[in-house]
Amino acid sequence: MARWGMTIDLDRCTGCGGCMSACHQENNLASADLEESERNSRPFHWLRLLPEFSGTYPDVTLRYLPQPCFHCDNPPCIKVCPVGATYLGEEGIVGQIYARCIGCRYCMAACPYMAKVFNWYEPEWRGDLKKRANPDVSLRNKGVVEKCTLCHHRIIRAREKARLEGKAMRDGDVTTACQDSCPARAIQFGDLDNSESRVASLSQNSRAFGVHDDLGTRPKVLYLAETRDGTSLDPGGS
Amino acid sequence: MTSFTNNPGTTPPVDSNFEDAVLLRSVEHPGSQLKVIITLLGMVILGCWVLFGRQILYGLGVTGLNQPVAWGFYIVNFVFFIGISHAGTLISAILRLADAEWRRPITRMAEVITVIVLGIGGVHPLLDQGRPDRMLNIFTSGRLQSPLLWDVTSITAYLMASTVYLFIPMIPDIALLRDRGARPRWLYEFLAWGWQGTPRQHHVIERAMGIMMVLVIPIAVSVHTVISYIFAMTLQPGWHSTIFGPYFVVGAIFSGIAALLVVMIALRKAFGLHDYLKEIHFAHLSKLLLIMSLIWFYFTFSEYLTAFFGNEPSEMRVFHYKFSGPYAPFFWGMVVCNFVIPVLILSFKRTRKIPGILVASILIVIGMWLERLNIVVPSLANPRLPVSTGFYIPSLVEWGMFAGAMATFVLGFVLFSRFFPLICVWEMKEGREKALQETVKRVKSYLPDTSSSQTTVPNSGG
Amino acid sequence: MQSRTATRWIELLQLMSMFAIWVFVLGISAWILYLVRLSHRWNDVPSASVGISIVAIPVFVTGAAVLTYVFVGLRRGATPNPGDGEE
Repeated sequence: MARWGMTIDLDRCTGCGGCMSACHQENNLASADLEESERNSRPFHWLRLLPEFSGTYPDVTLRYLPQPCFHCDNPPCIKVCPVGATYLGEEGIVGQIYARCIGCRYCMAACPYMAKVFNWYEPEWRGDLKKRANPDVSLRNKGVVEKCTLCHHRIIRAREKARLEGKAMRDGDVTTACQDSCPARAIQFGDLDNSESRVASLSQNSRAFGVHDDLGTRPKVLYLAETRDGTSLDPGGS
Repeated sequence: MTSFTNNPGTTPPVDSNFEDAVLLRSVEHPGSQLKVIITLLGMVILGCWVLFGRQILYGLGVTGLNQPVAWGFYIVNFVFFIGISHAGTLISAILRLADAEWRRPITRMAEVITVIVLGIGGVHPLLDQGRPDRMLNIFTSGRLQSPLLWDVTSITAYLMASTVYLFIPMIPDIALLRDRGARPRWLYEFLAWGWQGTPRQHHVIERAMGIMMVLVIPIAVSVHTVISYIFAMTLQPGWHSTIFGPYFVVGAIFSGIAALLVVMIALRKAFGLHDYLKEIHFAHLSKLLLIMSLIWFYFTFSEYLTAFFGNEPSEMRVFHYKFSGPYAPFFWGMVVCNFVIPVLILSFKRTRKIPGILVASILIVIGMWLERLNIVVPSLANPRLPVSTGFYIPSLVEWGMFAGAMATFVLGFVLFSRFFPLICVWEMKEGREKALQETVKRVKSYLPDTSSSQTTVPNSGG
Repeated sequence: MQSRTATRWIELLQLMSMFAIWVFVLGISAWILYLVRLSHRWNDVPSASVGISIVAIPVFVTGAAVLTYVFVGLRRGATPNPGDGEE
């Protein structure tokens, strides 16, 4: 049984936002309205770039943390869902059943990472985006919560493919959309329990950390902290 | 003086052998203004539901909710109205258990508050749902592990228990109305359950009331504790606090007594109940209110001192948001409304009269609503992650539903008064006839048994 | 003056309302037990569901039982009257 996880190397991340864009297209995210996102504070991303300022003027540094759902091993969100619409799957993915969600937004209130977004209105896809929707991912409607699924549909596809070919799944068979699109190859996805996978060794790296893991959420999307002198300590090399 | 019970200029014939006829005036001689009031309230409520239609049509986007403040007025009002429910049944049950004789004119109003307010509060989570059409998912795939379902269970239990606790003492009064020919005849026949006033029947309802008044107290305490757990069981700063359970119960009893006092003063004026709701009743209740204000302040002080002393960054952001940030007016407004002014008014006998009590109670109701607002929004607006601080500006739909909830509360009382007496007639009669002797016996039992305490007591008669 | 048939109708309605209350209470109990079963099937902290059911179901049943006690007790405690409903 796999245990899917991800590492994001902050040394490599340039903050280009390509991962956000790819995620939007892959997962059929509704077109965001500028006024809704900015003025009404209703941003709509599954993977967002969180700007983090540090230092005081004039030595201010800014970095961007690409933030998907962290797929915690002890998720606060699943405990509070009244109908079991969000759940922790056997392979470690925190899933969302759109058809079951009643839109109470308790999981949104409980998540310390603000990983979940809500469809405040009926979602729209501008132009002919709807015709080019990814057939593997269902379209959501208003009043339900949604979030990053670590491209679960790709995992299912890869597993099917491996089964048809009669082979076992190998590291690299499944990649998430954000990982594919990253020009700096900062994102690494795979099976944390597979000792030969890159993500497993990266997650053991001394630079690896989970956001607010003091809360006991045990996030499975880890960051690799920036190094001071710019040399990456990535043993896997990629 | 009275506005709902007489056609102006006429007085109904006084039933010479029935002292408490004035208590039945709202049923037997409803004024013409009643229809006007019901129509007005009905229009307000209808208007609010039309506004709500926008939310059904377009989605929760028509509210002021956003990310990160995903909960707002609906949840605030949910907690607020359920909190007021502690007035009724809890106060009535505790006073009955303590055999406090001054409870007699108060219990029915208190119990009615609870039932109405539970109905209003219980509907609010449905108003807040993104997909109310999927409400039945709670039955098909519900999770009792979620604090929201603990809520559903305990509020349903409390609604059932408080309805039973309201109904059983109403039976003799319903039978009285039935025997006096109140219309519609079938309603009173149906609800009176064959009451004839025999000693055996009296014994039955007294026993049933005895069981219910004990059962209702832990249920009531569990209701607001469980509501507090909705917040306390998350990890959010400002919410994840062990004090929430008792804090919410204290706040609920506090806001409940204040609401009860407002209702008592209003109904006393509207229905001419000055002979039954006397200064002494208000004096006793307002002393209780003062005590609750002090207890509330103690809990609030504890909560914030703990946060402040720990100086944890996430907690302190929420703290400063309330103390000196955008929510400072609401936070300090709450402290002034709940503690400063009420304690000043209620501590001194000169100001602890009905006008002062009314002012204090209204301020407390407002202050406790502000407290709910101060609990829900600041913790959501200040998430742990370094994002910009959230904000929340309620929209017309949310204000409309708030107004509709208040109108529903008033309408509930008006409708109740049209069909049933607001003060328990048979308990007043029992108080006159039996309670005096029983109280004398009780006090004698406290005193040492000497020959001088064997003097007879004049029979008070009926 | 209440006719005998009207009294009979009222009594029938009262009996039906008692029945409805029991249906309500037993329905809620059945729902809670169903959720306990679901939590077992999904291995989703079943102890929490069991705990809640142990507390909640007796509360509902007691409420209905008290109402039934009052209903039956008032009937039994009434003096038998000539049946025309007048006091």
